[in-house]
Amino acid sequence: MGKKLTELSIKHPKLLLAFALLLTALSLIKVGDIQVDTDPENMLGADEPVRVFHNEVKERFALSDMLVVGVVNEENPDGVFNTETLRKVYELTEGAKLIDGVVVQDLMAPSTVDDILQAGMGSVSFKYLMDEPPKTREEALHIRDRIMANPMLYGTLVSEDGKAVAIYVPIERKDMAHRVSVELKKLVDHEGKGAEEYHITGLPVAEDTFGVEMFQQMAISAPLAGMVVFLLMLFFFQKLVLVISPMMVAMLTVAITMGTLISTGNTVHIMSSMIPIFLMPIAVVDSVHILSVFFDRYQHYRNRAAALREVMNELFMPMFYTSVTTMVGFASLAMTPIPPVQVFGLFVALGVGVAWLFTVLLVPAYILLFIPEKSLDNFGQASGKKGKGEGRSPLAKILRVSGASTQQRAKLYIALTMGVVALSVFGITKIEINDNPVKWFVDDHPIRVADKVLNEHFGGTYGAYLVLEPADSAGSLKGALGEVKQYFNSAAAEAKSPEALLAARDMASFSEDLAAEAEAKGDSDPAPYFKALDEELSKKFEGVEGDNYDLLDELDLMSEGLENIRLSTHIFKDPEVLRYVDDFQKTLAKDPVVGKSNSLADMVKKVYMELLEGNPDEFRIPDTSAAVAQSILSYQSSHDPDDLWHLVTPDYRNLNIWVQLKSGDNRDMEEVVTDVDKYFAANPPPGGLTHKWAGLTYLNTVWQERMVSGMLSSLLGSFLTVLILMALLFRSLLWGVLSMIPLSVTIAFTYGLIGLLGKDYDMPVAVLSSLTLGLSIDFAIHYIERARETVAERGSWYEAAREMAEAPARAISRNAIVIALGFLPLLFANLVPYQTVGLFLAAIMAISGVATLVILPSLIKVLAPFLFKKEMGRFEAK
Amino acid sequence: MAYKSKGFMIMKNIKSLGMALLLLLAFLPALSFAMDVDEIVNRANLASYYGGDDGKARVKMVIKNDKGDERTREFTILRLDKEDGGDQFFYLYFHKPGDVAKTVFMVHKKVGGDDDRWLYLPALDLVKRIAASDKRTSFVGSNFFYEDVSGRQVDDDTHSLLEETDDAYILMNVPKDPDSVEFSKYKLWIDKKTFLPVKAEYEDKQGKLYRVVEALKFGEFDGVPTVTESRVKDLVSGGETVLTFSEIAYGVGLEESLFTERYLRKPPRKYIRR
Repeated sequence: MGKKLTELSIKHPKLLLAFALLLTALSLIKVGDIQVDTDPENMLGADEPVRVFHNEVKERFALSDMLVVGVVNEENPDGVFNTETLRKVYELTEGAKLIDGVVVQDLMAPSTVDDILQAGMGSVSFKYLMDEPPKTREEALHIRDRIMANPMLYGTLVSEDGKAVAIYVPIERKDMAHRVSVELKKLVDHEGKGAEEYHITGLPVAEDTFGVEMFQQMAISAPLAGMVVFLLMLFFFQKLVLVISPMMVAMLTVAITMGTLISTGNTVHIMSSMIPIFLMPIAVVDSVHILSVFFDRYQHYRNRAAALREVMNELFMPMFYTSVTTMVGFASLAMTPIPPVQVFGLFVALGVGVAWLFTVLLVPAYILLFIPEKSLDNFGQASGKKGKGEGRSPLAKILRVSGASTQQRAKLYIALTMGVVALSVFGITKIEINDNPVKWFVDDHPIRVADKVLNEHFGGTYGAYLVLEPADSAGSLKGALGEVKQYFNSAAAEAKSPEALLAARDMASFSEDLAAEAEAKGDSDPAPYFKALDEELSKKFEGVEGDNYDLLDELDLMSEGLENIRLSTHIFKDPEVLRYVDDFQKTLAKDPVVGKSNSLADMVKKVYMELLEGNPDEFRIPDTSAAVAQSILSYQSSHDPDDLWHLVTPDYRNLNIWVQLKSGDNRDMEEVVTDVDKYFAANPPPGGLTHKWAGLTYLNTVWQERMVSGMLSSLLGSFLTVLILMALLFRSLLWGVLSMIPLSVTIAFTYGLIGLLGKDYDMPVAVLSSLTLGLSIDFAIHYIERARETVAERGSWYEAAREMAEAPARAISRNAIVIALGFLPLLFANLVPYQTVGLFLAAIMAISGVATLVILPSLIKVLAPFLFKKEMGRFEAK
Repeated sequence: MAYKSKGFMIMKNIKSLGMALLLLLAFLPALSFAMDVDEIVNRANLASYYGGDDGKARVKMVIKNDKGDERTREFTILRLDKEDGGDQFFYLYFHKPGDVAKTVFMVHKKVGGDDDRWLYLPALDLVKRIAASDKRTSFVGSNFFYEDVSGRQVDDDTHSLLEETDDAYILMNVPKDPDSVEFSKYKLWIDKKTFLPVKAEYEDKQGKLYRVVEALKFGEFDGVPTVTESRVKDLVSGGETVLTFSEIAYGVGLEESLFTERYLRKPPRKYIRR
């Protein structure tokens, strides 16, 4: 196959090049249909139960994703509570109301929230906390005192030190977050300079802004990396026209892959946007191998076609296998349970295939078409003398010395390797699995700064929702309808008139029918059933003669009885349940990550206290459910009665505890989840309530968990696949195992370093494991292929080892250096995942390069008697 | 606005005069055109809030959110006028939901002054005065405001006649103190025959329509044209509240003593029963 392809390339270079360009053009036709998706929530499939529940909770409690705008005044002794700052806060709020996509009725700011207060003479009043900007210092300080007197507000709306005030800006959809934040910034700029600092943060902004900046970063990073790779190749090969070919292969590969991805209707996600960055080094690697060998051999032949035939003959199999293994590494990502990662893996695999094809076909074609033989006179090992030219470079000298050293002290190197592995394993045990989209930005990014400042001041800018609901709703509906039936049966027994008896009997049988219906449908919501019962009972009233007061009274009594059963389904009006919630929140507040939590219990306590003259002793859950209901009724006489439905559903069967976290680190969220589980296990809630989490901060922990376990199994799977492939390639299990050693050491050491350096194992790091596998096997394949060929030629490993330290070692080193340095510019990106990729690529290249050139020769030296039986046979046959 | 609208444009004691006036208007149609804005406003005010000398009704209030969740409240409303167009008393007694049953809301409406308002919460055995400042807060969690219950003071707005159609006067009303309310102005449709307001459209400070109050059904009780169903829609939240009136009666003989703090704890069974 290899020969045929090489001949094809040598005979029809123009045709091939034209074909490649046409193919690329074709794949780019529909590139205008690009659909960008920057929502990390999509790391989970749309039908993923946790995500379905998250969206259901948002719907149930009418919750919106929120941006947090913080206004901080450290200069004024009164903090933000001065007329100037509050006027700015007021105007900022008014401006925010006009931004398209802002959910105005849920906007939370001093001028939009109600204050419930004593207004003298036993009266209570709902007033906007700040219906207009204060005119005097006294007025400003009064606003502070009112907020501080409201446990629902302090820590949430205003920092406890009074230096910061927050505006919570809810948005209709998460993908508006960046735009809204930009418009908010405009409003801030409009206010002009003052003593105030402004900060905008919140997970939705971080996630959406990351999406925006990611594309900007792509537009800078990918070309920059390409440029550095290009310059390095120019340095090594000294020939401009020649090094254009790997660049061409890389660019065509990226174009075709991305073009196909977009044209097939896949969205460009955070993951898939990284494809060019991943493909570029992979596409360049093989071309560099070709150029390297061509560089070393050309002067031998002084004929391009002949030299290329030799080069391709030597490299075809290793290149084929390195590409296949890389493809396997990435394609294995399709096994992870994360859709964007699957797409990413499959398309990188596709790209690697394309890169391979283009490398074997186009690089030779390019050399034949664009590089006249005359211009190659001084190319490569100049004037053909051994030990001169390329062989005299410092790199060559180092490689020669180190190559010799591995042969003299093989066992020492093996022992050293084992030491490194041990250290790496120790490092791996130290790995902290953690992620936080806000930390995808560099330290001095405004979002990171805002995150830090605001979480110092407030209860927390990260939100999670803990939802309590009855464990067996269907069962309790059945129970309630059974109770209704029983009630009407006893009402029938006590009926004082034949009409009442009839009505009660009708109602009893009606409720029996409903119970059957509920069971058949598996319904759990009591509301429609009680509505039907109420309507049925209303009909009985209609039939009564106008002055038959006795009957009306009897029916009224039944109506009351029915109503009481209906209300008994309102579990979150039950003082015992609310007290449980209150106690739970008190424990939750002790968690250092939890800044605050707000629930119906807080609201009821506050209103109840204010109804009772603001007496602090009455800051408690009232004793009866009627008192709870009437406190709630009082609260609903405010400007925003619907705020209640963010805390509890209208059927009072679902409760939402809004938990504000100071950190969005998955590790911290997970800890809270564990602590809460423990609390509920140790303190079983009344009535068998279940608890379940929702909210972006929680969702992130779920897909992270998927990612980590998914990556691990995909890594193990591809490791085994690659091992089998290697055993097949070398037709020897021993060689197969040997070839996996540099790769295993590289992976162990890279991840060991992560653990030792204390860097979090986050999304980018997880994805990079597949790249590590795919790239670090490459050098071993090239090395072993060449080593076996050389032994077959020379007749002994002793001699072959010296030759291996020459051209093959140089090819590997050149490659490692080009890629490692080429991607270092990524370290200057202002998005952390890009820095991680840059660092990783450098580490993978450096470590696997060294591992291949040191560990392999050392091991081969020790194992040589078992390894080269076939080659020795071939040598002797010659 | 249209909520407690059991009005009658011509009071019983001047009924004959009214008939004469109607006849006159029939012969001189041009005159009706000349009807002064203040006259329309006053008549509408009387029609919607002063029907009969007193009145009672049982009201079913269905509050719906944008998702279609429904909550129902039921109360009896009693009203006594001191004089037509003048001070009034309101007494609202809640029947349902059961856990707020026996809650009472009482208003002493004072034309040209601040109303006195009380809330009695039986489970807390507590009578609370409600401060005058929060007229435009929600009435018991519905999309109606407290002010809708007892009626906005006529003098709080300046009125102008925008248009006159075959059956309605269309008025524009602009608040005299814009900071005290959340709207910038509202358009009011007044039925020419009954002078009952049939629709009100409220615009926010940006001039966007955000709230619509409509009378949906009408009837006549004891000779008083009355709205029997009305609805308010909140276009921002997508919620709405529908009021249905039944057991409507005028001239039931309510006494002033009933509208005192003493009766908050001791509701007059005679009037609030079915």
